[in-house]
Amino acid sequence: ANSSTTNVNKSEVKTAGVPLSDLVLQLEDFPPTVPDSVTAYYLNKSGFDSSDPRVIRLVSLAAQKFVSDIANDALQHCKMKASGQSSKKQGKDKKITLSMEDLSPALAEYGVNVKKPYYFV
Amino acid sequence: MSGDITGPSASRRKALKVAVAALCSENGFTSSEDSALETLTELLQSFLSEVGRSARAYCELSGRTEAMVSDVAMALVNMGFNIESIAGHAKRPNKSVFIPPAQMTQPVI
Repeated sequence: ANSSTTNVNKSEVKTAGVPLSDLVLQLEDFPPTVPDSVTAYYLNKSGFDSSDPRVIRLVSLAAQKFVSDIANDALQHCKMKASGQSSKKQGKDKKITLSMEDLSPALAEYGVNVKKPYYFV
Repeated sequence: MSGDITGPSASRRKALKVAVAALCSENGFTSSEDSALETLTELLQSFLSEVGRSARAYCELSGRTEAMVSDVAMALVNMGFNIESIAGHAKRPNKSVFIPPAQMTQPVI
């Protein structure tokens, strides 16, 4: 197990199957933020059937990484916007709000075009 | 959006929203607009459905009925998802785990 973790960390080995199968073996140690039961529900809803809980956990982790990446992109947009503003205002409110303004450009990078309905307040 | 306010999918949708909120808070956000949260929830639900559909298709293509890790991997790769980055995400230090309510298989008498 020791040699396999170093392989993943250094990512020297670029074969397609090896890093994933290594990860799948350890999947039980990583509880996902997206509950497995909820993931299983949506997978079953689209016709997916698996008795292996690790397969479902892999999807959970992939899905939450997807959302986490977008949220991180939105945060960068938010911070970039805040740095352009006056530093006085920045120091006053340390609240960081996830707004559609920041989310839309982040989503655009992922090919999702959000059209904000202007009548929707 | 998903449409029904009641019914079986409403509770799952709520769980997804909590998960999305947890992930946002993990990333450093302290508050959020409801519309932004709802957009991400819709995205997450869409992602799960798409992976399910695609993985099922790959599994049936190889003549199986039960999906394997390779089918999910193919589905994710086909969606342009970097599989190698999952390991790094799984091992992140500030993890917030949302424990869903236990599923009741037996009716309580």
